[in-house]
Amino acid sequence: MAGNAIVAENLTYMYGNLVAVDHIDFSIAEGEILGFLGPNGAGKTTTVKMLTGQLKPKEGKATLLGMDVARNVEKVQGDIGVCFETTNLYEKMSARENLNLFARLFGIKDFNPDSLLEKVGLAGRGKDRVETYSKGMKQRLMVARSLVNRPKVLFLDEPTAGLDPTSSDAILDIILEERDRGATVFLTTHDMLEADKISDHVAFMNQGKIVAIDTPLNLKQQYGKRALKAKISSKTGGLEDREIILDTPETPQTIQQLFSEENVITVHSEEATLEDIFIIITGRGLIE
Amino acid sequence: MNWGIIKALVYKDFFLFFRNRFIGIVTILGLVLYIVFYFVMPKTIDESLEIGLYAPVNIPAFEQVQAEGLVLTTVESEERLKEAVIDGDYVAGIALPSDALETLIAGQVPDIKLYIASDVPEEIKDSVVVIIKELAYQQAGQPLTVDIKEEVLGTDMAGMQIPPRDRLRPMLAIYLILFETFGLANLIAEELSKGTVRALLVTPMSSRDLFTGKGIFGVGFAFIQAVFFMAIVGGLNNQPVIILLALLLGSMMAAALGFLIGSLAKDFMSVLAWGMIIFILMAIPGFGVMFPGAVTGWITYVPSYYLVDTVHRVASFGAGWGDIWLNLVILLIFDAVVFWIGILGIRRRAL
Repeated sequence: MAGNAIVAENLTYMYGNLVAVDHIDFSIAEGEILGFLGPNGAGKTTTVKMLTGQLKPKEGKATLLGMDVARNVEKVQGDIGVCFETTNLYEKMSARENLNLFARLFGIKDFNPDSLLEKVGLAGRGKDRVETYSKGMKQRLMVARSLVNRPKVLFLDEPTAGLDPTSSDAILDIILEERDRGATVFLTTHDMLEADKISDHVAFMNQGKIVAIDTPLNLKQQYGKRALKAKISSKTGGLEDREIILDTPETPQTIQQLFSEENVITVHSEEATLEDIFIIITGRGLIE
Repeated sequence: MNWGIIKALVYKDFFLFFRNRFIGIVTILGLVLYIVFYFVMPKTIDESLEIGLYAPVNIPAFEQVQAEGLVLTTVESEERLKEAVIDGDYVAGIALPSDALETLIAGQVPDIKLYIASDVPEEIKDSVVVIIKELAYQQAGQPLTVDIKEEVLGTDMAGMQIPPRDRLRPMLAIYLILFETFGLANLIAEELSKGTVRALLVTPMSSRDLFTGKGIFGVGFAFIQAVFFMAIVGGLNNQPVIILLALLLGSMMAAALGFLIGSLAKDFMSVLAWGMIIFILMAIPGFGVMFPGAVTGWITYVPSYYLVDTVHRVASFGAGWGDIWLNLVILLIFDAVVFWIGILGIRRRAL
């Protein structure tokens, strides 16, 4: 079994009297994707800043790849890649120049930016200045920059925010490729569907605390209900909705009756979404 | 400190500096133009005072005056004298009355007219008045009845006049250095406002590497330009070690101000706004050298005074360590304090 890539123990941060991250504990195994979910102001960014050595915890400890982050900031930062939510590229430089700069900062010799640009779908645009890129292209370059040092742990903050579905899917594919390579991915996102689709585990953060952490499937089983939703043609000629709760002793019989006695137009299964579960747990939505 | 990272950062800043076309062009153009300005300025001093004289009667003291730097030319009429002064042929014109000689011999005061061009400085006007009085006393044979004691305030530069181009030299050198404040401040402001500094600081680059890299770029770039300029215009002929040290401290001053402005500014326009306030203030001591007497004692409160004064006195008058060491200490202290404030400001915004 793989060891833990990230361990947070009693991790705490305060801005003055405001407790942004409140004694949180969690761990992520090597080679896993953790979807880190929570509304704005929940403490996600502060947590990432502590895990990446940008902030020193006021209490507790963050360990990355077996190293105490606060004590080994530069060493830890040599093994991580960070993709920020807001674009922060050198826009007057080309994509190749941006990547070459970061390769030099990581001390990488014989770095080939073109293969990375090809990986993120920017082949042929490497010599163009970043200021001429679209938002989607810039975001893909941000992801490419976070991969320059082939990081063992990858932190991605809303990497698909505001992107069209094609660009978004391209980035999700890259994340999965990185996971397959063996990298651990810490994915901060508002997009529940995205998190559900690619995360091995998801953590819900609310008001500085982690209120739930598990696999998406386990969370759905624990908090959600499984049901069948059917539309039937009523005797008056209209349409009616029927919901059949699964996992009850009467379920098989109820389904049989539905199909034998009613004129079923459509039927589909329904399970709780991560958004539903978040609301159940915290009493609030992700986007407020 | 990781010198590989610092080198990459300096290279990147140099690259981005010239990607801003405005700053890049102005930097190169400024350097070239400053050198041109220097060489088009006169390299000799013309200290002669040309005065026109209309004398309907022969007054020997006026016509035979032989003073160093004084050229007295007789004209045929008072009207011609006025025209010549207006045309700029003479800085002043003296018109003697026809009874001047008798009046002087009688010990009375003759009515002498003095024509002065409207743009003649006050001190020239005063000089001409003094000359007339002196000549009048000579002719009248009456010695001055007062005993004048002369006291020189500040360094007595009498007889040590320097050509205008050499007077311009420290002013141009400090302008070159100060201009780099804008470039560095703009790089830092952009780094902070666009968040690229955060991207840098999640690599193995430490904040110390960041400040060292920015400092080396700012100081180095200003210093290289200033040294290049001074070498071309002959500013390193006297005491080159002192001049180089002064230029280095001046370049550190520009970089420190760049840190400070960069930590305050949000974009290029606010860099210009903050930068111009500081630039104008720091530029004033240069005028003090170019136009002696134009500024007063308060100028010693402007830190750049200690750079200008050092460069001026060492390059033009051969001053030594003993004369300027205090200037260099004051500059060093100022640099350290402003660097510290700038770094605090940047840390507050970036970290």
